[in-house]
Amino acid sequence: MPESDVSIRKLYKRFGNLVAVDHIDLEVPRGAFVTFLGPSGCGKTTTLRMIGGFEHPDSGQILIKGEDMGNRPPHRRDTSMVFQNYALFPHMSVADNIGFGLRERKVPKHEIRERVRRMLELVELPDRGDRKPRQLSGGQQQRVALARSLVIEPTVLLLDEPLGALDLKLRKQMQIELKRIQQQVGITFIYVTHDQEEAITMSDRIVVMNNGRVEQEGDAEEIFERPRTRFVAEFMGAQNILDADVTDRDGSSTRIRIGQREMTLPQALPGTTRHAALVVRPEKVRMDYPDGWKGTVTERVYKGATMSYLIQLEDGTIVTAEVAHDDPEHRHDIGDEMTIGFRPEDIVVIPDDGKGA
Amino acid sequence: MATSVQAAASPTRQPRSFPLAPIVSLGIPTLVLVLFFVLPIVLIGIYSFYSINPDSGLMQRDFTWANYERALTSEIYRNIFLRTLGIAALATGIALLLAYPIGYFIGAVAPGRWQGPLLLMVLIPFWTSYIIRTYAWIGILQSNGFLDSALGWIPFLPTDLLYTRSAVIIGFVHVYLPIMILPIYASARNLDKRYIEAAYDLGATPLKAFLRVVLPLTMPGIVAGIVLFFIPTFGSFVTPQLLGGTRDVMMGNIIDNQFGEAFNWPFGAALSIVMTLVVIVAMTLFFRFADVEDIYGR
Repeated sequence: MPESDVSIRKLYKRFGNLVAVDHIDLEVPRGAFVTFLGPSGCGKTTTLRMIGGFEHPDSGQILIKGEDMGNRPPHRRDTSMVFQNYALFPHMSVADNIGFGLRERKVPKHEIRERVRRMLELVELPDRGDRKPRQLSGGQQQRVALARSLVIEPTVLLLDEPLGALDLKLRKQMQIELKRIQQQVGITFIYVTHDQEEAITMSDRIVVMNNGRVEQEGDAEEIFERPRTRFVAEFMGAQNILDADVTDRDGSSTRIRIGQREMTLPQALPGTTRHAALVVRPEKVRMDYPDGWKGTVTERVYKGATMSYLIQLEDGTIVTAEVAHDDPEHRHDIGDEMTIGFRPEDIVVIPDDGKGA
Repeated sequence: MATSVQAAASPTRQPRSFPLAPIVSLGIPTLVLVLFFVLPIVLIGIYSFYSINPDSGLMQRDFTWANYERALTSEIYRNIFLRTLGIAALATGIALLLAYPIGYFIGAVAPGRWQGPLLLMVLIPFWTSYIIRTYAWIGILQSNGFLDSALGWIPFLPTDLLYTRSAVIIGFVHVYLPIMILPIYASARNLDKRYIEAAYDLGATPLKAFLRVVLPLTMPGIVAGIVLFFIPTFGSFVTPQLLGGTRDVMMGNIIDNQFGEAFNWPFGAALSIVMTLVVIVAMTLFFRFADVEDIYGR
């Protein structure tokens, strides 16, 4: 395990009766781009604000570079926050905004000028220093906010949904930009978002949160390909989450039933779980599979490179399948009957956590 | 489809047939302004060029600069003018020191549900007559009044304040404080807390965050508060008359006197016009200096 910049231990925070953060443990490795991902109200922003010192935990600890932060105020922490709506000081020029933190640190004037200039170059806004924030576009303001936080060289940069106010095209562009800047400066980024695509594009590690808890933590591929809970699967946009009953099991395999048919999975399920959720990616659903589940095509959507079929099984379950749009072997019309199947190795099994089914 | 288009278009068509609304909504305020604001000022302007018939002592039609000459060259009036300016400025400064913390607290610190009641507490005294509140101070400040009997035992505390400069300042601050609190409250309420958080986050201590972020961003409220407080104080005559001594006479009293006992309307009118112009010029300069536009600007 690489050295941690931020360690979170049993962090707990309540607002009135609402538990916002429920005993979270987390290590953020040095130099990593870590994303807290989850729906609104999952505790991701509260956790971020506690790291920045804007909220104080009811119990638990936050350590930055091994040092317990306690209730230390933001101005005495080595973190910096990029706010959701940037919070650029409207009465100051862009250069004064960026130089704000340096002035507070009593950096000599000529050095401030030089470092501000370098920052403006890093965020690709040279010669905008004397503008007022309101004269810049949303994307440009975003870059200034980033520069203002980066210039003080914090140990950890905290970003609270910083791209939320931008339009889709600009967001995509800024995602790549943010990643480039992070790699260039090598500072640890903790990024909060509810957009799973954004998380996947930028993050080294993703922490999926729900109801104040960590649901799953891992790199983008792990989270996307092997969700450990039904919530993570749903949140990451899994299209096929099928309910299954466990009918038989031994030490190395599990027999399950979906609808009217059973199949054997080459893995043991933990504990005594009676139900499971199966996640199958649409392109892994085999159409016209011999000896499979009977179904009827209810919808067909042309998606450019692929053709997407919605297939209703006999028990009413809807399965989405995707094939190359010009695949002549699997061309069906709405209303066609056919059989579909899954290969055991294409299935991700989520033992029932009591939340689904 | 067709009916929905018609429904959407009809409300815009209706007012064109009989434009009563714009006549009422623009006409009445215009009429009120002309009758009660423009006309009196024009009259005062005309009077200021009239003269007094030395035989009858009555005002007579004339065109003379004599009133202005007397107003601008006489040392007595210049001294009273400077004193008025000094009293109004001091009262404004003291009021600002009180109004800012109060307005900021109500607008930016107090929880939302307390803002209404707190604001009400600021405003309630304002609904009591200016005169009554000023008379109340006589009872408090006079020798052996409430203040002396309650706090007289404290050493070095000034006693017997009535008919002093202090009493005039106290009277002004109390009477006009609410109208200074209101704009400060409004600008504090509009202040986005994230600016303060951002300042802390970038390393500013609470004091520095206040000086470099909070103060400049609430400056529009401060400027408005100063203007709203200064103008009525500058022209006031009731407070110095009731609470001040002979050395606290202000321009308002002089003008009041010219229209009253002295029965020299032309000279009173000339003094009024001079005062009005001074206020206009001073406020224009003040706005330019404070540069409110630059803070939020267009």
